[in-house]
Amino acid sequence: MVSIKASYKEMQEMLGKQLSIEQLEDLLSFAKSEIDQYIEEEDMLVIDIKTSNRPDLWSPEGMIREIKGILEEESGIPEYEVKESGYVVKVDPQLASTRPYIACAIAKNISLTDYYIKQIMQLSEKIDYSYGRRRKRSSIGFYNLSMIKSPIEYKVIEETHEFIPLEQTEKMSLDRILEEHEKGREFGHIVKEYGHYPILLSADGTTLSLPPVINSNDVGKITEETTGSLIEVTGTNFETVNVVLNILCQVLVTHGAEIYSVKIEYPQDIYNESVITPLFDKEEIEINLDIVNKYLGTKIKPKDAAKLIAKRRFNCNSIDGNILTIEIPPYRKDILHWVDIAEELAIALDYNKIDPTKWKVLTTGGLLPETESENLVRNILVGAGGTEVLTNILTDPEILTTRVNIDNQDYVKIENPVTSTYSVMRKMIYPLLINVLSKNTHETYPQMLFEVGEIVKLIDKKVITQSNAAFLCADADASFEDVHKRLNQLLSLLNTDYEIRQVNHPSFTEGRCGQIIIENKECGIIGEIHPSILENNQIWVPVVGFEIELPLIPSLKCKVKSTY
Amino acid sequence: MSNLEKKISLPSEAVKIYQIIDENSNISIRGLEKQTKLDRGKLEYYLGFLVTNELISRLEIVSHQISLTNNGKEAAENQLVERRIAKILKEKVSVSFADLSKLVKAENKEMNAGVGLLKKQGLIKIDKDQISIIDKKKEVNKKLQIILEQLLSGETADTSDFNEILLQRNLASFEEVKDILLEILIPYKQMSSSIQKMSEVSRLTPEMIRDGSWRDTRLREYNLKASPPTFYGGRKQPYAEFLDEVKQKLCALGFKEMRGPVVELEFWNFDALFQAQNHSAREWSDVYQVSNPKQGKLPKADYVENVKKAHENGYDTGSKGWRYKWDPLKSAHLVLRAHGTSISARTLVDLEVPSKYFSISRCYRPDTVDVTHLSEFTQVEGIVVDPSITFRDLLGILKAFAVDIAENENFKFKPDYYPFTEPSVELDVLDPNLGWIEFGGAGIFRPEVTKPFGIEAPVIAWGLGIERLFMVKNGITDIRELFSHKFDWLRTAKMSRG
Repeated sequence: MVSIKASYKEMQEMLGKQLSIEQLEDLLSFAKSEIDQYIEEEDMLVIDIKTSNRPDLWSPEGMIREIKGILEEESGIPEYEVKESGYVVKVDPQLASTRPYIACAIAKNISLTDYYIKQIMQLSEKIDYSYGRRRKRSSIGFYNLSMIKSPIEYKVIEETHEFIPLEQTEKMSLDRILEEHEKGREFGHIVKEYGHYPILLSADGTTLSLPPVINSNDVGKITEETTGSLIEVTGTNFETVNVVLNILCQVLVTHGAEIYSVKIEYPQDIYNESVITPLFDKEEIEINLDIVNKYLGTKIKPKDAAKLIAKRRFNCNSIDGNILTIEIPPYRKDILHWVDIAEELAIALDYNKIDPTKWKVLTTGGLLPETESENLVRNILVGAGGTEVLTNILTDPEILTTRVNIDNQDYVKIENPVTSTYSVMRKMIYPLLINVLSKNTHETYPQMLFEVGEIVKLIDKKVITQSNAAFLCADADASFEDVHKRLNQLLSLLNTDYEIRQVNHPSFTEGRCGQIIIENKECGIIGEIHPSILENNQIWVPVVGFEIELPLIPSLKCKVKSTY
Repeated sequence: MSNLEKKISLPSEAVKIYQIIDENSNISIRGLEKQTKLDRGKLEYYLGFLVTNELISRLEIVSHQISLTNNGKEAAENQLVERRIAKILKEKVSVSFADLSKLVKAENKEMNAGVGLLKKQGLIKIDKDQISIIDKKKEVNKKLQIILEQLLSGETADTSDFNEILLQRNLASFEEVKDILLEILIPYKQMSSSIQKMSEVSRLTPEMIRDGSWRDTRLREYNLKASPPTFYGGRKQPYAEFLDEVKQKLCALGFKEMRGPVVELEFWNFDALFQAQNHSAREWSDVYQVSNPKQGKLPKADYVENVKKAHENGYDTGSKGWRYKWDPLKSAHLVLRAHGTSISARTLVDLEVPSKYFSISRCYRPDTVDVTHLSEFTQVEGIVVDPSITFRDLLGILKAFAVDIAENENFKFKPDYYPFTEPSVELDVLDPNLGWIEFGGAGIFRPEVTKPFGIEAPVIAWGLGIERLFMVKNGITDIRELFSHKFDWLRTAKMSRG
């Protein structure tokens, strides 16, 4: 999901009509977008766009292009004239293995208000971040055309090369930019992986930028005064840089800019011919309407399909019986298969005007035996007076270790936790129940609580998920008997013989703790929680409890699930 | 039927009280308390029998009860101050005020009052500082003294002429006392032959049941208005119980349950679902990566090779694919299940056709936990497969979810996006308070997802926003409460159904 800000007033102006927020939201749904909030004082809409593969929709201009199709005010692929600029970009063969591709265009006669400059910057940032994979796959640059001379060189240069980066007043060398400039620290790692510095140079030696890190402060920005601009996209994927350039040109055209092409001269190592950008590859896809109708459950006729697809800003180039040849707009590389066209047709029909069928796939439903087994245990433990709780499987290592007297153990851990509170997977439940007790010391005793839930363990280098049941009883009079009798009832109702074998366990008082043994296997623990733990957790009454591994109770149907 | 004709069963204590009331006309409850030495609660209980049987009636009265103040008590015990002064004066010709005070042993204020009073009554004369009595034989305030002494000893005293003085001199105070007068309606004599005495106990014992003595025994009535002691029996967690209901409803709609591991291979979480390996959803900010261990193992199966092809060139689906080199090592990375769809993906292996499945699973995203975000949350997901199923059927299924699970007839569909379905739909339902809220999403699995598993039939994938539904139904605004540790909530939260 991508989130952008746009002016409510400007959106209505671009659509040429007054719309309530609700009406606008209904229309935006056709652009897979929704209004997250409306900040009235700022006339600002926060719009969420649900697609991660449609960067063409990440601007008000893009959404409105889509809406105008639905309203039948415009149709088919939007076209605009592109004139030759005579500008050339020469690409250095050394870039072949690092960041080889570039797409450029020149926009003239632009007069952008501050608002639309900010809009274009917002769009560029969103594309760089998400579609451009944080500038790794692609990044965008805008320049003041009047300061640039052709041919432009896109080449590798030594680290001592200097220029004034954006928001700075003095020249900095490239390696210094990576170390010291804010953007250098943010994106420098991309360049460092290359092992060399890519740079864009004007014919007169002026530095345009160090892609994908930072533009030059003199040339690399546009303002309300800018009338001509060079737009450039560099990246690791030929298709991506061209799609991004197309999206940007399309937006500028909406505001009256004239677009001029740039010739990209690639060396053989990168691309076997020169490319004129923006590139309009006329990509087509054939669909069989019979198959599409069967897929959607509809009866769309070929002529209607042609109209519907035009509403979605595609062109229908030919109809041959039930075979339609559809031309894809150059800014849409999300169309991989005819099912993608099927969706476009369904959206053009309006989902709410397609009649839902009655429920028809007749099958028998049911819970898995393991869920039924867990429910059995839950019911018995509720009958035993337990209050059920749900705690997290992903939890705080402290709760699992120091707070229950256990040394750091072999937990399945998270590499990128947001906070240590959620950073390891529990392999026992009772430590979390003790944590719950520690937060309820002001509540009436006795407190009896239980959880039947999943835990994650490493066994023989395999990660497994299984269900355990844990029951704790806290009360001034709590004694071992209180949980022993409940465990006994649980296992006898489950028709399971067991014995308790005395054992020492750091969480429990010595001599007051035992392993639960079923068929000679250790499958749980029962006992009185050690007073040091109670003190540590500020629980001022005795606590007794047990935890048992459900897959080891033979009469239950709980299974251990291995990830691989 | 008149009371005279019927037999009346009364506890023996009640009969005794009946007799007392009959013998002491117009006795009050207070009087009865003294006489029977029963406490008020018990007395009321027995009187209840007499009143309900219309043997006596109750009449509320208000009386003024007089009681001595500390001053009054002292005067009753040591004589009124004017009497003490008079007594001294009777023994002497004349005494100065100062000497008199010493002899009477009274404070100045009291002395002044006593002397003043005697002078007013014309019993003494004061010549300069010398005080002398006029008539040595005359008794001073004798009646008042007698009344005080009577009040002190608790005898009945006729104070009517002295009320004002007693109050003025702060010797006594009057209290308003409410009492209940008991009047006999039917004299005991008339009733005695109709009364049966019954014994009465508070507890039914096993012996009483066995020996049949319960028949002659009255079980004392309980106080049904008293509030009961606090009690917290065992119960299920409210949200878990709600999930149980959802499972039940899905089973009733013909869905079979599926489950999967919490720690997942990227293969099942992403690759099998045709999410390109450089897709932004696979980055650190969007999915929890497991560090111990980092790597699992891919299954040894043809479908892994097919999935690779689907990514690289579309496999034999007619798709362009993502056109990059697919990395099996990346695919074997371990992550925390980011969505329940990974369980659906696992179910695609040897999928039964037709079939319908659901899962309710814990899923994980590296979000900062706040009012609307959990880092561990619940997803309800599933699939429906049938060779004849269409997009219209998918809308039909969503409609059934709106009606049967959200219990809401007001719903609408919106275009949506999932990397693994096409077309994709969002289901919104209209909440009377919150407006349109998203309740579910669905789509038809892309052929790049299903074909690698040898599935030719369309597979509908769906998911429901069940947490939101629970919150809306229960007026919860903070999503963290679903996993609340508060005993207060766990013990007292209302059941979501009914």
